[in-house]
Amino acid sequence: MSALLEVDGLEVDYGTARALDGADLRVAAGEAVGVVGESGSGKSTLGAAIGRLLPRQAVVAAGTVRVAGEPVLDLPPAALRRLRRQRLGFVFQDPIASLDPTMKVGAQLRLVLRAHGRESPGGRDGGRGGGDVAFHLERVRLDDPRVAAAYPHQLSGGMAQRVAIALAMAASPELLVADEPTASLDSQVREEVLNVVFALARQAGTSIVWLSHDLPAVARRCDRVAVMYAGRVVESGPAADVLGDPVHPYTAALARSAPAVAVPGVRLEPVPGRPPVLTGPSPGCAFAPRCPFAEDRCATERPEPVRVGAKDVLCHRAAELEVIA
Amino acid sequence: MKETAGEKETAGVKGVKGRRPRQRLDPLSLTGLGCLLLLVLVALGSLVHAGGDPDAIVGPRLRPPGPGWWLGTDNLGRSMLPRVMEGVGTTLLLSSAAVLVTAALSAGFGILAGYRGGYLNELIMRVVELLYSFPAIVLAILVAAVAGPGQLAAVASIVLVTIPLMTRLVRAAAVAVAERDYVTAAAISGAGLPRILGRHVLPNVAGTIAVQGTYALSVGISVEGGLSFLGFGVQPPQASLGVLIRQGGTYMMAAPWLIIGPGVVLVLAILSINVLGDGLRDRFEPRETRSLI
Repeated sequence: MSALLEVDGLEVDYGTARALDGADLRVAAGEAVGVVGESGSGKSTLGAAIGRLLPRQAVVAAGTVRVAGEPVLDLPPAALRRLRRQRLGFVFQDPIASLDPTMKVGAQLRLVLRAHGRESPGGRDGGRGGGDVAFHLERVRLDDPRVAAAYPHQLSGGMAQRVAIALAMAASPELLVADEPTASLDSQVREEVLNVVFALARQAGTSIVWLSHDLPAVARRCDRVAVMYAGRVVESGPAADVLGDPVHPYTAALARSAPAVAVPGVRLEPVPGRPPVLTGPSPGCAFAPRCPFAEDRCATERPEPVRVGAKDVLCHRAAELEVIA
Repeated sequence: MKETAGEKETAGVKGVKGRRPRQRLDPLSLTGLGCLLLLVLVALGSLVHAGGDPDAIVGPRLRPPGPGWWLGTDNLGRSMLPRVMEGVGTTLLLSSAAVLVTAALSAGFGILAGYRGGYLNELIMRVVELLYSFPAIVLAILVAAVAGPGQLAAVASIVLVTIPLMTRLVRAAAVAVAERDYVTAAAISGAGLPRILGRHVLPNVAGTIAVQGTYALSVGISVEGGLSFLGFGVQPPQASLGVLIRQGGTYMMAAPWLIIGPGVVLVLAILSINVLGDGLRDRFEPRETRSLI
């Protein structure tokens, strides 16, 4: 089965700062992939690149992004619009900001539905009307009819995010990119919102790329995990393998620093040092200065992905470390 | 009473907040609005000659205010009251027409420049800056020289004087809106440029356009006044505030009421519009954005 999303060697610069330094990512149809990493590791840039939503000052230095085989970064405008409309959905971090403050929720939903014509599953009555809107709001468990008549500022964060999810999923996209969709919500609402996203995606057969800080939640919900560090995916593979049995020293350090896996009374181990700020291609492994297993070649030679079991690991010493792990 | 009822109704549903209490204009801006409406009423009154026929000769020349001519008479013995009423009407009409044109053009150019960026933005902004660098009255005289003195010159001058600032501010607002997630989300849902600009960007910069529109109106009134005062705008016998002040200026020492009437009305109009604009700005743009005028 060929992948729905293929990101190959993507390099993106913001002026002199390098956000992506050769990132690779593959997502199969119907698969949920969690992308985890520290702030500044390039998660959001990767997410934006999938929809060609990079800010104006971003420059793609190298690499390709393919969605269903189509080169997203090279498409002419009309084809790009069609690809976005038919295949892509996005959910952003700040739910209130992702809704237009001047338009009622129902009107925004109708606008999206009209753009997709009547091909949406809610278009059963063929009408242009309220039935569709109510159907799509009920799918995200917003049953109150007053939600459709409300402006975004009248909704709570959790409700607004569910509306944003309804908007993104209205057209049953093939790929949903969720950029920390629960970062601004409190922990109780967080679970409900994630339940809604994953339930809808499963129903529609939508693949999910979920950018997140939350390792345990990713481990619970995603089929596969990709760990990013300094603009590269350093380890990817089945979620349980990557987080439960990490090979890359960074993944291992990250897994040890997660509060949820801590045993009470035992100190959390933060990753020593701080993430680098790249100004160009990293000469070697970007994690080398912080890595307890670094050798000479780590600083001078760029690691290539190594297959370890079911995982792809970006480490010169992956084979040896696997034995240790 | 209504507020509490509304809150009770929503209290049962988790998350849906009640309607925000309607923000009202502060008393000062309301006074400004009232003043402006009064001037509009006066202008409408002149259409039915509520204060008398502006062109009729009613008495001796250059008489101070008195019964029959409550604002005095001019050098031809016409009563100043109906002339000032007609003048307010002409000035307000020309300025508002010009501001509507400015608003439409600024909205179009500003939103395009702000959303699209790139060369289009550079082109629009450089042209706007070129216009901005001319002193208002020099620009107005230039327009009058090209188009010939008259109402059209007055309108065109007001448009050219007010368009740079409004375009720049609309562009700035559009740049901010263009980066918001809902615009990105609209793009992802496959919306074309017209829908993004018309349905998402324009409504979100409308507050800026409204606020700048009021300021542009007051600038427009003073440009019309200045241009007509210099003789390049509205032409007599039609009255505008600028025309009246120009005619009154000749007899300023002998008959000061000729300029006091239209002058006071001119000041009142500009002042009330500015005060109203401040109120609208506080309402629409509650942050620290201040007019550059």
